[in-house]
Amino acid sequence: MIELSTEGLVHVYREGSVRAVDEVDLHIKAGERVALIGQNGSGKSTLVRHFNGLLRPTDGRVVVEGADAAGLAVAQLARRVGLVFQDPDRQIFAGSVRAEVEFGPRNLGMTVADRRAAVDDALSAVGLAGDTDTNPYDLGYSRRKLLALASVLAMRTPVLVLDEPTTGQDLRGVELVQRVIEEAHSAGRTVLAISHDMRFVAETFDRVIVMRTGRVVLDGTPADVFAERSWPALRSTFLEPPLAASVGARLGLGSTPTDGAFVSALRRVDGPAPDA
Amino acid sequence: MIGLVEVATALLVGTWTGPLVVLLVVLASAAGAQVLRGVGLVLLTMVPFLASIVVINTFLFPGASDAIGRIGPLTPTWSGLSFALQISVRLLAFSLALSLVFLTTPVDDLLTELERRGLGRRGVFVLGAGLRTIPRMAERTREIADAQRARGLDTEGRPWRRVRGLLPLVAPLVFGALTEVEEHTLALEARAFSAPVRRTPLRTLPDRPGERLLRWGLTATLVAVLVGLAVAKVPVP
Ligand SMILES: Nc1ncnc2c1ncn2[C@@H]1O[C@H](COP(=O)(O)OP(=O)(O)OP(=O)(O)O)[C@@H](O)[C@H]1O
Ligand SMILES: [Mg+2]
Repeated sequence: MIELSTEGLVHVYREGSVRAVDEVDLHIKAGERVALIGQNGSGKSTLVRHFNGLLRPTDGRVVVEGADAAGLAVAQLARRVGLVFQDPDRQIFAGSVRAEVEFGPRNLGMTVADRRAAVDDALSAVGLAGDTDTNPYDLGYSRRKLLALASVLAMRTPVLVLDEPTTGQDLRGVELVQRVIEEAHSAGRTVLAISHDMRFVAETFDRVIVMRTGRVVLDGTPADVFAERSWPALRSTFLEPPLAASVGARLGLGSTPTDGAFVSALRRVDGPAPDA
Repeated sequence: MIGLVEVATALLVGTWTGPLVVLLVVLASAAGAQVLRGVGLVLLTMVPFLASIVVINTFLFPGASDAIGRIGPLTPTWSGLSFALQISVRLLAFSLALSLVFLTTPVDDLLTELERRGLGRRGVFVLGAGLRTIPRMAERTREIADAQRARGLDTEGRPWRRVRGLLPLVAPLVFGALTEVEEHTLALEARAFSAPVRRTPLRTLPDRPGERLLRWGLTATLVAVLVGLAVAKVPVP
């Protein structure tokens, strides 16, 4: 079943005449995990804002769960598509972590019991279960960012859109985000994430869409998109495949090699490692 | 500069004719400077505000008895309506004049010139930080509103719901502005902002004789208006 799609989507901002999104046709199936990558200004954020009606097409159509988004208000679309913005400080307002996360569910009119469960689940998913009464501004940046993620997770929308979820996160934070995506996926939710972190993209998603100047230039599995034949297209939008992909390709391991494949390939080249 | 004079005049001149004249002059100079579009935009954003002023005053003007008619339990009054229109015209004249200043004078030009003329660099910083925040605040406000709407905040519903929705919009805005100023200040200190040396301006603005004459003429007008109002209490038309 197709969950999200765009048909000939064009977006031109009123201030300025560039086509921030230029004739994009995209179909995302329910339950897919999709990464959206591309250089700064290639139109990623502009594209995803159409899925919950924050931006409306200059031309073309956006379809969410079979319904034309044009006929739905932002408040209605917010039930289907949860969008986490890049900067947590542009949404956090409440005096406590719990109140912040409750905001969305309350707006959606969830019952008290549902709300409590949704908030608790979301907070433990991002590792903030022990901080319900903390003032959000006392958390560090990376945890405020996880809080913003939790505040949208708790809305239990069938679609989850994340704008750069891993910026400012250390290894543990990235792993938490990966786990959240994994859990959402196993619960049948659709996940679409914008990212500049190629390793995170290669490890976390089933499908990678590459944008350049408002258009889709590559669309496929991570193995396809990071394969050697795609490198010129990646370079044209100032992206590089993850190191593992470029080294893996040169060792003949394909573009998504595992650690184990690397180690055995290197042993073949060098002979047995001294400590083996 | 013309704008500045008009701002002051709009604030000070009472009753009808004064603000109306100012309004005409503003529109004429906006047309001259080819920024009518920008002024129009400001006008547009003020419409709901002005409309509410008119409605509230027409129906709820205290102590007015000259009823226009009756609409259910409400009694619109002439004095309320005329008061509201007067206030609106004044507000319009004031804000359009102010917007003219910013539409015609690039902030950087204004600041460079003020510093060259001896306004201390702290003054320049405070003024500049303030002025430059305006477009950034607008962008930030839009983004915050987007983020909260994505979380189901109703920004189009009934008035009381919108009032309740104010905190989620205002709190991140204020907090963000505070941290931004703090970071800005630290970054400036790190680059020797307060070092006690005289600085060389990187560029100077051309000052044509015509402009100079106009500026002095306008300053004189401004002073005349102020003095006229304050001292003689001249009944301005
Ligand atoms: N509010 C706006 N008004 C006018 N132009 C805009 C606005 N937002 C974005 N743009 C322009 O639209 C184009 C696409 O921007 P967008 O933010 O969608 O890119 P992006 O791929 O998300 O970039 P980044 O990786 O930097 O987040 C850019 O040319 C940008 O300058
Ligand atoms: Mg973006």
